[in-house]
Amino acid sequence: MKLPHAQAAVVETASADEAQSVDALAAATDLPTETVTGAAFELEEEGLVAVEERVDETVSITEEGREYVNQGLPEIRLYEAALEAGAADDPISMGQVIGASGLEGQAVDIALSNYARKGYGSIDSGEITADSDADPGSDSEANALEETASTSGVDDGATGATDDEGEAGSSPADALGIDEETLESLERRDLLERSETTVRSVTLTELGVTELMGGVETTETVGQVTPDLLTSGDWEDAEFAEYNVEADAEPVQGGKVHILRQTADRVKDVLVGMGFQEMEGPHVDADFWINDCLFMPQDHPARTHWDRFALEQPTHIEDLPADLVDRVERAHRKGVGDDGEGYHSPWDEDFARALALRGHTTSLSARYLSGEETGRLEPPQRFFSVEKVYRNDTLDPTHLLEFFQIEGWVMAEDLSVRDLMGTFEEFYAQFGITDIEFKPHYNPYTEPSFELFGTHPTTGELVEIGNSGLFREEMLEPLGVECDVMAWGLALERLLMLMYGFEDIRDIHGTLCDLELLRETEVTY
Amino acid sequence: MPTVEIDPNELRELTNADEKSDDDLIDDMFALGLEFEGRTEDDEFELEFAPDRLDRLSVEGVARSLRYQYGDDRGVYVPNTNSAEWTITVDEAVPEERPYVTGAVVRGVNLDEDALDSLIQLQEKLHATMGRKRAKGAIGIHDLTMLKGSSAGDADSSVRYTGVTPEEDSFVPLDADREMTPADVLEDHPTGETYADLVRDTERYPAIYDELGLFSFPPVINGRRTEVTTGSRNLFVELTGTDQWTIDKMCAIICYALSARGGTIEEVTVEYPDHDLIRPDLSTETKTVSHERIETILGIDLDPEEVIDLAERAGIEAETAEADGGRSVERAERDDHDSEDLVYEMTIPPYRVDVLHPMDLIDDLGRAYGFNELEPRYPDVGTVGGRHERSRLEDATRRNLVGLGFEDLLNFHMINEKENFDRMALPADGGDGERAEGEAVYGAGEPATIKEPYSEDYTMLRTWVLPSLVMVLERNTHRAYPQDLAEIGFAAEVDESENTGVTERRSVGAVLARHDAAYEDAKGRLQTLVGDFGGELETPPTEHPSFIDGRTAAVVIDGEEVGVIGELHPKVLVEHDLEVPVAGFEFDLEVLN
Repeated sequence: MKLPHAQAAVVETASADEAQSVDALAAATDLPTETVTGAAFELEEEGLVAVEERVDETVSITEEGREYVNQGLPEIRLYEAALEAGAADDPISMGQVIGASGLEGQAVDIALSNYARKGYGSIDSGEITADSDADPGSDSEANALEETASTSGVDDGATGATDDEGEAGSSPADALGIDEETLESLERRDLLERSETTVRSVTLTELGVTELMGGVETTETVGQVTPDLLTSGDWEDAEFAEYNVEADAEPVQGGKVHILRQTADRVKDVLVGMGFQEMEGPHVDADFWINDCLFMPQDHPARTHWDRFALEQPTHIEDLPADLVDRVERAHRKGVGDDGEGYHSPWDEDFARALALRGHTTSLSARYLSGEETGRLEPPQRFFSVEKVYRNDTLDPTHLLEFFQIEGWVMAEDLSVRDLMGTFEEFYAQFGITDIEFKPHYNPYTEPSFELFGTHPTTGELVEIGNSGLFREEMLEPLGVECDVMAWGLALERLLMLMYGFEDIRDIHGTLCDLELLRETEVTY
Repeated sequence: MPTVEIDPNELRELTNADEKSDDDLIDDMFALGLEFEGRTEDDEFELEFAPDRLDRLSVEGVARSLRYQYGDDRGVYVPNTNSAEWTITVDEAVPEERPYVTGAVVRGVNLDEDALDSLIQLQEKLHATMGRKRAKGAIGIHDLTMLKGSSAGDADSSVRYTGVTPEEDSFVPLDADREMTPADVLEDHPTGETYADLVRDTERYPAIYDELGLFSFPPVINGRRTEVTTGSRNLFVELTGTDQWTIDKMCAIICYALSARGGTIEEVTVEYPDHDLIRPDLSTETKTVSHERIETILGIDLDPEEVIDLAERAGIEAETAEADGGRSVERAERDDHDSEDLVYEMTIPPYRVDVLHPMDLIDDLGRAYGFNELEPRYPDVGTVGGRHERSRLEDATRRNLVGLGFEDLLNFHMINEKENFDRMALPADGGDGERAEGEAVYGAGEPATIKEPYSEDYTMLRTWVLPSLVMVLERNTHRAYPQDLAEIGFAAEVDESENTGVTERRSVGAVLARHDAAYEDAKGRLQTLVGDFGGELETPPTEHPSFIDGRTAAVVIDGEEVGVIGELHPKVLVEHDLEVPVAGFEFDLEVLN
């Protein structure tokens, strides 16, 4: 019959008369013990061998135990020193005896705690007596230690490895004539250790003998599948070597799209699905596009505030559309419509031309609405962007100097706040936020304006999830837009933290990022 | 967001709403847009307010809004005023930087400690908001009984708004116990130091005199002589500033608050050299609001009565009118399908500073109606969505880089000179990044710089992406190698040919950090990437200070030099505490288009 290599070797080595342990077979066949065990069980299933299991208790001596074999148990050394000092006749001071015994440190405590227990004498008020009848030669613990040490080969550690009865320095408990009480006492003293091992032994069955007589061939086992194996057709007879398929493999370092990009992609997918077109435009832009077109008065605190990133170089935009500048200035000064009021604030074109890093992507909305980017837009339109904005502020776990703003707007005739609410409910529902509340709010460039609140999907808290409103006519009229536009914005990072519960945005975004965190972050989709 | 502190007991008293619990009040104020932030040490509410309704910066104004909300008040209320006994004369010496003044007299005010605290808070909050930190408008409130009106001429009393040179005169300011000149105040008085910048560079400082002499140094500090205390019953209010409308509105808000404390408003005459004003200006304004616009914005049908009711509950008044005149409510109702030219004349109280357009009144109607009562609907408007071309290219390239095994990174666009240039061994000479042959060194362009950076770490926009990637390697030397990192990111440099003076581009940067990283590893990946997009790659040898000579090439795609590839120079590696070789490349994304 044909058997895989390991099984063939076991069948050939095993005997019908004498049970052989797996360890012995492993030694004889020069195969790893696990392989032999595996092969033996497979052969047993075929009925070729019988496998017997027995649980052996072995006793081994500890390092401390071995020390006492050489030096004598501390209590015996104490007894001997006591006898020497004459403690058999009169109590002798403990210090004197201990000094004479040569015991030190912990050994002293060990000696004292076992001395009286084992009947070597008594200890009282710092004095020690010795019982002259006691016989250290018949100390069962000392003898047991000695025996264990000798049978398991005190200095035999190196060669003991092939000892098929167990590990180096251990002996089968049965083979030692040690009574249970002594064994327990020594185990408690950490001088001996008992352990159980399962020993399997293998015997050839009658069927095994018969098959063996008929001759056993070894089938080839294949490691790597090679081109040669495939083309030669040898694979048909090949036995594939088994792998440990459960073992961990070497880690493979793959690439992954950044978690925040994944989130941005998802937002973009949702918005494109809702009919929005993507905008893009300059990060460095004139205050005109960032603020003036949004009807932000030039003395508004946000425009002079230090959190704005004004540019030192270059300082001013070259060109602004002159007629648009005029219309924007007029809106600021006089307002829009028959009943409009302007701001009672200064307005200066040079101030409007100053360059800054955009604090919001509403500058893009202004550029698109003005027709500057893609030409005049006719309603209906939907536009969005998920792009970076800049705030000159402190860095902390939830605030970065740069973050992504989701900006979106809808242009149509006669929009109502109900349309606005319906659109945002739809958008947030895509991210599992379904109970939006609209809190009336104030923004300089939208009216009505709403802060959007929603319930955090995991913590259940009511959190702000965006800001929205209908663009003011003072913004739209100068841009040449004659219908309604509703808009909203929120930070992408906020959505990410809401959805995935990150706590410190700095671990993810920027050069302080932790590669391991990025590598281990779950994919989102 | 700015905050205002309100005593809930005072609020209950001023609204006559003893039955309201603190929680009720918190909810009611949230509906007004005043968000409860917590309690102060004195157990007052700390409320965050949106900076539109500046008439709600004190308990008197919040109480007024709540009374409208509760339906206790309706429509517009304007306090009666008595005619002027006092005059503020504006003389020629007034500094041209602060030409405007306004004021009021309020008699019979009941100023207990709470009321005085509230008045001081209102003054401060108005300074911080409309007053633009006192630059645009500053309020001075004085005990009228301590003023002695000039009796020169007629029976009327008067004070004089003028200007003095810094050392010209002296007075005892608040919180001081000696005579100080205005110059001393700026130098030695804590309040003076805070506001010194507002007047320091002017030739003459604003000053207000009565018969007895200098008593106010606006916008910096009042004199001690006229200090308002809980014993003060009659007050003289003056405001100076750079805009008449602004200070008049601030004055109106103060007058309403004092009127709520039992005060009777008395006019003052402001005598400019060429004209007189009677102040405070408590006149109402009207705006015309179209019925149709109200309906389309709120998305609901309303009867004119409902609109008028909502307006009154919002503290405004509405009367129907017709765009071309002469149509009545009755006719509008009878002819319901043709309400197109139905309009309302809406009257706005003088303390409102936020109504710039009829839409602001529609917002008030919506708030009175309750925006959250409206049923959301998805707009029935069809549009076609789509991605921007650049954004699609960026994504496609990112997918291929990830396919090549790179970890996709996302770094800041801002960096500093040291990281962008010095630590990459690039000459930090900005625009002079030219080599002998006259070819530009990749990444060595002139950076766009930030004027007042908050952090030294972020002072400019990065001119290339590789420095950020090398910084990430530096931060992650304790993490497993290989570290193959890529970023498609923003980079910018000064470019005078651009309208904004800055050219902005997307750049593809990649580094391979591993014990055996070599030029070939980077080249192999670049080759595949460029090939995937149908580009033709050449890598003629070049020199670049960040890379090892002889292992550096220009990235030339379809004949255009667009980047650099090579093994990073050991001095760059050592500078970043790296103990493995790093090969990398960077090129402009646009070329893959």
